Amino acid sequence: MNIIETKDVNFYYGDFHALKGVSLDVAKNSVTAFIGPSGCGKSTFLRLMNRMNDLIPETRLTGKCLINGEDIYDKRIDVDVLRKKVGMVFQKPNPFPKTIFENIAYGLRVNGIKDKAFIQNRVEESLKSAALWEEVKDKLSRSAYDLSGGQQQRLCIARALAVKPDILLMDEPASALDPISTSKIEELIFTLKAEYTIVIVTHNMQQAARVSDTTGFFMLGELIEFSDTKKMFLNPSKEQTQNYITGRFG
Amino acid sequence: MRWWIEKIVEKIFAASGMITTVVILLIVIFLFKEGFGLFNSPVVEKGYALCVNAVNPVEHIGSTTIKKIYNSGIENWSEIGGFNEKIVPFRFDDIFGHYKEEEFGENYEKLPEKLGEVIAQTPGILAFIPEEYLPKGVEGVKILDGNTVRPEDFFLGQEWIPTSTPAPQFGVLPLILGTLWVSLIAILIATPLGMGVAIYLSELAQSRVRDILKPTVELLAGIPSVVYGFFGLVVLVPMVQKTFSLSVGETAFTGSVILAIMALPTIITVAEDAMRSTPRAMREASLALGATHWQTIYKVVIPYAISGISAAVVLGIGRAIGETMVALMVTGNAAIIPKTLFTPVRTIPATIAAELGEAPHGGVHYQALFVLGCVLFLITLVISISAELISKRQHNKGL
Repeated sequence: MNIIETKDVNFYYGDFHALKGVSLDVAKNSVTAFIGPSGCGKSTFLRLMNRMNDLIPETRLTGKCLINGEDIYDKRIDVDVLRKKVGMVFQKPNPFPKTIFENIAYGLRVNGIKDKAFIQNRVEESLKSAALWEEVKDKLSRSAYDLSGGQQQRLCIARALAVKPDILLMDEPASALDPISTSKIEELIFTLKAEYTIVIVTHNMQQAARVSDTTGFFMLGELIEFSDTKKMFLNPSKEQTQNYITGRFG
Repeated sequence: MRWWIEKIVEKIFAASGMITTVVILLIVIFLFKEGFGLFNSPVVEKGYALCVNAVNPVEHIGSTTIKKIYNSGIENWSEIGGFNEKIVPFRFDDIFGHYKEEEFGENYEKLPEKLGEVIAQTPGILAFIPEEYLPKGVEGVKILDGNTVRPEDFFLGQEWIPTSTPAPQFGVLPLILGTLWVSLIAILIATPLGMGVAIYLSELAQSRVRDILKPTVELLAGIPSVVYGFFGLVVLVPMVQKTFSLSVGETAFTGSVILAIMALPTIITVAEDAMRSTPRAMREASLALGATHWQTIYKVVIPYAISGISAAVVLGIGRAIGETMVALMVTGNAAIIPKTLFTPVRTIPATIAAELGEAPHGGVHYQALFVLGCVLFLITLVISISAELISKRQHNKGL
């Protein structure tokens, strides 16, 4: 079953045509990676799915973008509800200047949950899912800024998980991290796959190859190739893909 | 060559920094130095002294007590810690009721002696006489020459009447309370309004609206205070008088409204800058979790900008407390302790501005005004420091 379906999506920043007729489907409980050179539109495409691009003035979208069969750009869609369903982890760790506990509890609190025990449990559960519990269980009331960069990023993942989204969007989640933290994030993606559908944008082709089931290659706003990751890296069907993954450009 | 120029410029910059700091310090030192003499100055008017009978144990009489004695508010020495004897207030002129004119001699050379006689004969006397006729060395006379202005009369005194005789009244309590009262109301009006505008400008307004509104608000900061005062006097004062059916429109409230308007540009600009400096990543993180725009504003943007916001409020308070012209023009200038919104009040800066010109240089009144300046300085200092501490504590605990 496809949880995300897009049909002929075009996206414009003012006059700039950033996405050109992108159509792709993402299966439930899979990991999909988007690769491509800088400015190719892969992040723009990712941010369409939780309507984060709405924040940028003078943008325009044509085509259809369905999540769970619902057009998320329909007028009747409540963006806040959509974003609860589609969580996001950003390129740089961006914890709030609050305590570790409050960072995780934030998403619950803004959704009107006041039950203390429930929040407590969910915080613990989320931190465990993000493989951070053991490291922070004794300092939940410390500032999130006391954590290392890699821990902060896992905190951000836990924060996103706390509201129990269906889909987790990750925008180059390991690009600001050292190799050890990166491998922890990758392991995490692997385990999270069982419960969540993950879409990840990455600059790192090895990372895409390691973590994803399906890979999409973007270039200049077009989706050049979208196929099974193994096939993409071993036997790409397009020459541009071949050139990119062998490092001939980009 | 270039190396030399750079060196010289560097030195010039360092020197200007030093000079600025030193000048500011010197001003503060000057303020305190000029006011310092106040508590060593005599309570009574310059050129006069107080005398009592030698049997009277009282050594010191404060200015408020003196005023009460001469206004018959206190009638017995026992009320002010002395012996049980009725107080007989005696002014210099009263001597002419005791003796005939010719008894003083041709050039009044016997006047001190006669004064001494009266004082020595009246155990309960409190005499207020010019220094040149002071009965020095006369038996039975005690001159109260250590009678200086006491801090408690100054800081707790409830009357500010620098021209009162025999003892000028320098009670600064009404002035301090008046200043705080006016500033408090002003800031209570200005903070919510300013925050509202700041939130609108930074979070809600479209960029085109913002581009017009923000410079307009900043322009308000440049209007001279006397113009605000004018506006207050001509427009607001009659309006307040009519709306609340008061006998006068110059009240604490009137002043507060104008001061609030004056503090607004500062509060708005500083708070707006602080909120806009909230990183986009913070807003996105919040929105991505399903928080609404408003939740993001009050749960992320405002806490993130809280130190900037408190700085904005403190700057606004500073503006209101130190503002002179408007306070002078529209608050009514009555040195009484404010009890309602609509009592006329008098602020410290207005008092200094109005009175320094007529206070003799180096005199008690002059010194009292300088101490007032010190008080004002200390108030603003305390406010700045506490704001600093608040914002620091906020940061340390990570909000």
